[in-house]
Amino acid sequence: MRITRFLLTRIAGMIGVLLLVSLATFLIFYLLPADPARAECGKLCLPGELTQVRAFMGLNEPVWRQYLNFLGGIFTGRTYGAGANAIVCAAPCLGYSFQQNTTVLSLIGQTLPVTASIAVGAAVLWLVAGVLAGVVSALRRGRALDRAVMAVAIVGVSAPSYLVGLLAILLFGFKLNILPDSGYVPLQQNPGQWAFHLILPWCVLAFISAAIYARLTRSQMLDALGEDYVRTARAKGLREASVVGKHALRNVMIPVITIFGLDFGSLLGGAVITEKVFSMYGLGALLIGAVESTDLSVISGVTLLAAVFVIVANFLVDVVYKLLDPRVLRTPVMHIG
Amino acid sequence: MRKHIAILGSSVSVALLAAGLAACGGANNTTSTTSSGAGSAAAAKGGTLTILDSETTISGLDPALSWSLATTSSGLLFRRLTTWKIGPTGTPEVVPDLATSDGTPSDNGQVWTYHLKSGIYFSDGAPITSYDFKYGIERTYAPALSGGLNYQKPLLADAATYTGPFSGQQLRSIVTPNASTIVFHLNKPYGDWPWVVSTTSMAPVPAGKAPAATFGKDPVTSGPYAVQSYTSGNSLVLVRNKYWSQATDPNRTAGPNKIVFELNQDPTVEAQTLISDGPSAQDAFGADFVPAAQLAEAENNPSVKSRLVTSSASPLEYIAVNMQSPKLKSLQVREALEYAVNREAAIYASGGAIAAEPATTLITPGIAGRVNYDMYPAGSTGDVAKAKSLLAAAGVKNLTLTLATANDPISTAISQAIQEAYKQVGITVVIKPLDENSFAALVTGNSSSGYDLALSSWQPDFPSAMDNIEPLFASDMIGNGNYNISRLSDPHVDALMNQAEGTVSQTAANALWAQADKAIMADAAVVPLVYNKNSFLRGSDVQNFYIGEFPAYPVYTAVTLGQ
Amino acid sequence: MTGAAVVVFFALLAAFAPQLSGITGNDPYTYHLNLLAGSGVPNGAFGGISASHWLGVEPQTGRDLFAIVAYGAQISLLVGVGATVLATLIGTVLGVTAGYSGGLVDTLLSRFTDLTIAFPQLIFMIALVSLVPASFPKQYFMIAVIGVFGWPSVARVVRGQTKVLRNRSFVVAARAVGASPVHVLFTEILPNLASTITVIATMSIPGAIGTEAALSFLGIGVPPPTPSWGREISSAIAWVSVDPWYLAAPGLALFLVTLALNAFGDGLRDALDPRMTGRRQR
Repeated sequence: MRITRFLLTRIAGMIGVLLLVSLATFLIFYLLPADPARAECGKLCLPGELTQVRAFMGLNEPVWRQYLNFLGGIFTGRTYGAGANAIVCAAPCLGYSFQQNTTVLSLIGQTLPVTASIAVGAAVLWLVAGVLAGVVSALRRGRALDRAVMAVAIVGVSAPSYLVGLLAILLFGFKLNILPDSGYVPLQQNPGQWAFHLILPWCVLAFISAAIYARLTRSQMLDALGEDYVRTARAKGLREASVVGKHALRNVMIPVITIFGLDFGSLLGGAVITEKVFSMYGLGALLIGAVESTDLSVISGVTLLAAVFVIVANFLVDVVYKLLDPRVLRTPVMHIG
Repeated sequence: MRKHIAILGSSVSVALLAAGLAACGGANNTTSTTSSGAGSAAAAKGGTLTILDSETTISGLDPALSWSLATTSSGLLFRRLTTWKIGPTGTPEVVPDLATSDGTPSDNGQVWTYHLKSGIYFSDGAPITSYDFKYGIERTYAPALSGGLNYQKPLLADAATYTGPFSGQQLRSIVTPNASTIVFHLNKPYGDWPWVVSTTSMAPVPAGKAPAATFGKDPVTSGPYAVQSYTSGNSLVLVRNKYWSQATDPNRTAGPNKIVFELNQDPTVEAQTLISDGPSAQDAFGADFVPAAQLAEAENNPSVKSRLVTSSASPLEYIAVNMQSPKLKSLQVREALEYAVNREAAIYASGGAIAAEPATTLITPGIAGRVNYDMYPAGSTGDVAKAKSLLAAAGVKNLTLTLATANDPISTAISQAIQEAYKQVGITVVIKPLDENSFAALVTGNSSSGYDLALSSWQPDFPSAMDNIEPLFASDMIGNGNYNISRLSDPHVDALMNQAEGTVSQTAANALWAQADKAIMADAAVVPLVYNKNSFLRGSDVQNFYIGEFPAYPVYTAVTLGQ
Repeated sequence: MTGAAVVVFFALLAAFAPQLSGITGNDPYTYHLNLLAGSGVPNGAFGGISASHWLGVEPQTGRDLFAIVAYGAQISLLVGVGATVLATLIGTVLGVTAGYSGGLVDTLLSRFTDLTIAFPQLIFMIALVSLVPASFPKQYFMIAVIGVFGWPSVARVVRGQTKVLRNRSFVVAARAVGASPVHVLFTEILPNLASTITVIATMSIPGAIGTEAALSFLGIGVPPPTPSWGREISSAIAWVSVDPWYLAAPGLALFLVTLALNAFGDGLRDALDPRMTGRRQR
C-alpha cells in the first residue's frame, strides 16, 4: 500500500511538473518578437500570404488554445490546414516543423540516437573511471597516488569542456590526424566507424565528469570508511575487500547514483556544447537550431522530451535509493535536487 | 528581348550559413578571380565529390521551398525553362535550359511563350511536359510551400486568391495548349521574365503526384543528379540521374558520379579540414565562406592559397539609416555618420583586404553603367573633425543610437568597428545583436521603432543596377517583409526609379539609375561600408572550381574531380 | 594556500582593471589597426607582445589583450559571485524551510525543486536574451538567471543538514522549552549551518563562473564590446593555428581562476566542516 501510494503520488507529481515545464516553454517563445509564420513564409512575403500561412500553422488561435492543441496532439494526432492541402501528424504528435517539413517526432527519431550514443558511452566511461579513481584515492589516502589522481581531477573539474574539446580536436583531429574531427556515423550503418567517431567526444565528456565523480566518490568513501560499522567489520576480522566492496561502497554508491541519474538524465536532453563542438546533430543541436529559427513546434516538443528524461531519471533514482537503503523508507524520502 | 534590368532582388545578411543555398547574386568586375584548378582542365568524369556545408537541413529539395542559386546545389538537381551560363570569365547570361529559347514575348512583354526541348525526362523515367511546369509553379502558391523564392507570384495574372492546386484548382494565367508548350500571362509587361523563369521554384514537378508534405523527402529531379538519400543534420547523397542526357544540357558538366553533402559542419572546422587536405578532404570543397582566421592561414601558405578561390567585390555591406527615427531627422547628423565611419576597421572585421574593399556607391562594381564617386570623403579611417563639426552645427550632443545587427561573427565584428568609430566623434552606439529571423522581423516589419541603424548586406539576384537600388530604397518597399530598411520615402528618388524602370534604352536607363544612386546618398539614407569578396576552399583533387563574374559563389555544376 | 592567493590576484585584477590597463595607456575597446598585418594577424612574435601590450593584441582589431582579460575578470567574477550569492540565499531559505517543516511543505518544496531542475535552463536563457531590451545590462540578468537555476544544489544540502540538526538534542530541548520555530531557526540551526553554507557557496562559485563563460561562448552572454572571457575564447579558438597566444590569455585566465577557486573551496571544506569530509583522523 505504501508503495502504491508512493508511486501514485510521484507519478501525479511528475505529470504536474511536466505540464508546468511545457507551459512555461510555450509561453516564453510565444512572447518572443520573432514570428514563426514570417520565417515560414519565405522571402518576399506578401501580407495576404502571411495571413494564410499563419492560419495554416494554427497561429491565429489564442495562446491557451494553441497550447491545448499541442497537448491534445500528443494523444490524438493533429491536422494542419484542411482538405488536400492538409498535413496530418499522426499520434503521438509532438508537433510539426514547417521549416524542416517533417514531424517533430521524426526529427527526434533522427537526433536522439546521436545524443544517446554520446551520453551512454560517456556515462559508462565516466562512471567507471570516476568511481574507480575515487575509491583508489580514498584507499591510498594521503599517498602519492591519491595526490596525483586528485590533482588531475581538480584540473578536469576546472577546465571548460568546450576548450578541452576543441583543443582535443585540434590535436588529435588535425595535427596528428588519428581521429576524425567531426561527424556522426549511425550504429547500424557501421559500428566500427560509429565508435571511432565517438571516441573523442566520449573521452572529453568523460574526462571532465569523471573528475567530478572521482572527487565525490573519494569524499563519500572516506566518510564511509570512518563510520562505526566499518570499524566494527574490520575489528571482526572481515577481509578488507569485503569491507570496502560490500559495506563502504554500497553506501557510497547511493549519493553517486543519485547524482549520476540526474546528470545522465539531463545529458540525454542534449549535450548542447559537446554536440556543437563535435558537429554532431543531436537533440541539443536540434534545439539550438530551433531556437535560432523560432521553430516553436520543435522547441516545445524537444523541451518536453528533455524534461521527461530528467524527471524519469529523478524518479528512477529515488526508486534505486529506496532499494539500496531500506532505512529511508521509514523517514521522509530525500528528494534529490 | 533581354534587358539587363532585373526584378526584385534579395537580401542576405552576411551569414556564414547557407552560402551555397541562399538565393543571392551580385555583379562583379570584368575580371573575375579564379584559382589554379579552374577553367581549362578537361572535364574528367567520375569519382565522389564531397561538399562540406554548415547547413543542417536542406529545405531546397522541394523546389518550391528552395532559396538556392541556379548554379549551386539546386542546379545539380532541378532544371528549369532557362538557366544561367557562367564561365570563369565573361558576362553571365540567361540561356535556354529545358526550353528551346529564353522565351518569346508578345503583347508588349506581358505574355511569354516557351517550347520545350524533346528528349527530356524526369529521374523516374517519365517525360517532362508543360503540365509538369504548370503544376510545379502552382504548388508554390500553397501555404505549406510558400517558403521559397516567390518572384513569380506577384507577376502572374489572376493569382491574388490562388492557394495551390491541391484542391483541384488551376492557375488560369499559365496556359498549356499542348505537352510541349507553355504560355505565361503576366499582369504587366515585364522584360525580365526569362530571369524569373530561371529561379528554382519554377522547376517542373510531376503533375498531380507530389503532395505538399512529402515531395522534398524523395524528390523527382530533372537535372544531372537524383537524390539517393537525405538525413537532416547528417548528409545528402546525390547519384547520377540516368534519364538526364548531356545532349540536351550543354550548361552542366556532371563530372562526379556521386556527390555527398556533409551537413552540420562548423565553418571553422570545415575550413581547417580543407586546409589540412587530408585524404578525405582532397575530393571536397567547402560551401561556406572561409572565415577570417583561415583566410589568414591560407595567405601565409602558398599551397593552401592555390586552392582558394575568391569572388570579385560584389555584395554590398552597409549601414541602413532609419529615416523614420526621431534622432536622425537632421541631415547634418546623418552626414556626420557618413564622415565618421572607419572603413579600414570594417575591412579588418570582414577578414582583411582579401575579403573586402571599401564601398562608397550603392551600385556595385561590375554592374553596367556604374559611376564611381565618393560623396563624403572620409579617408580610410574616417574624418573625425568633419563629423564633429557637423554634429556641432546641428546642435547635437551625447547622441545615443541603437544599431541592430544579425549575430553572426562577421556582423558582430563589423558592428563593433562601427561602434568604436562613432565613439570617436561622441556618438554612443548600443549594439543590438539578434538572430537572423528576429533581425529580419525587426527591420522589415511594419514598425519603425526599435532601431536607429541597421547593419545589413545586399546581393541582387541578377546583375542589374535596378536590383541594387529599387528593393532597398523604393517607398513601397517599406515594411511587410520588404527590404527598404532605411525606410526612405523620397518622392524625387521614387520618380527617378520609376522613370528608369520604364526606360527602354539600356544606356539611358543606367544613367538614371546612377542618378538615383547619388540622390539616395545625398539623402544620407545609407552608409555604404564595403563590397564583400567571398572566398571558398577546395581540396587538391577538385578541378574546374571557379567563381564567375556573378554570382559570388562557385559554379557547382562545373566542378569535376581529377583522376 | 596557493588557491587563495590566485583568487585574490584575480579579484584585484578585476577590481583595478582600469588602473592596471591604464599603466600602458590601454583599454579593451580602442582599436590599434596599425599593429596588424593585412590579414588581421597581429605583427610581432607571441601575438604582438610588447612593452605597451603585455599580453599582445587581438587579431582583426588590435585591442589590448591584457585589458580585455582584466576587464573580463570583472564580468566573470561579478556574475560568478553574484549568481552564487543569489542561489545560496534562495537555496538556504527553501532548504531550511523544507528540512525543518517536513510534511506537506517539504513535499511541495521538493516538487518545486524537481520543476527547477527539469526546467531547460539553456533555452530559457537564450529565449530571454531576445526579450531583454538591449539597454538593460546583461550581466545582472545573467546573475539572476544563473542564480535562480542554481539554488537546488544548495537547498538539497541545506535541507539534509537541517533535518539532522532538527533532531539534535539541543534543538529538541529548545523546542521542548517552547521556543518558537523562528527563534529556533535563528539561534540554533542557522549558526550551525553557517560553515556548511559557506563551503557549498564557495564550491558553487567556479560552476557559476563556468556557466557564464559557457553562455558567452555560445554567444548569449554580455554583448560586445564588453569583454568576456567566454566570448574571447570562442573567437580565439578559430585563430589557434595562426595566433595561439590569442587563446592562451583568456583560456588560461578562466582555467586558473576556476582551478584556484576549486582548490580554495576544497581547503575551506576540509578546514571548516568535518561533517562533509568524514570523521577521519587528519
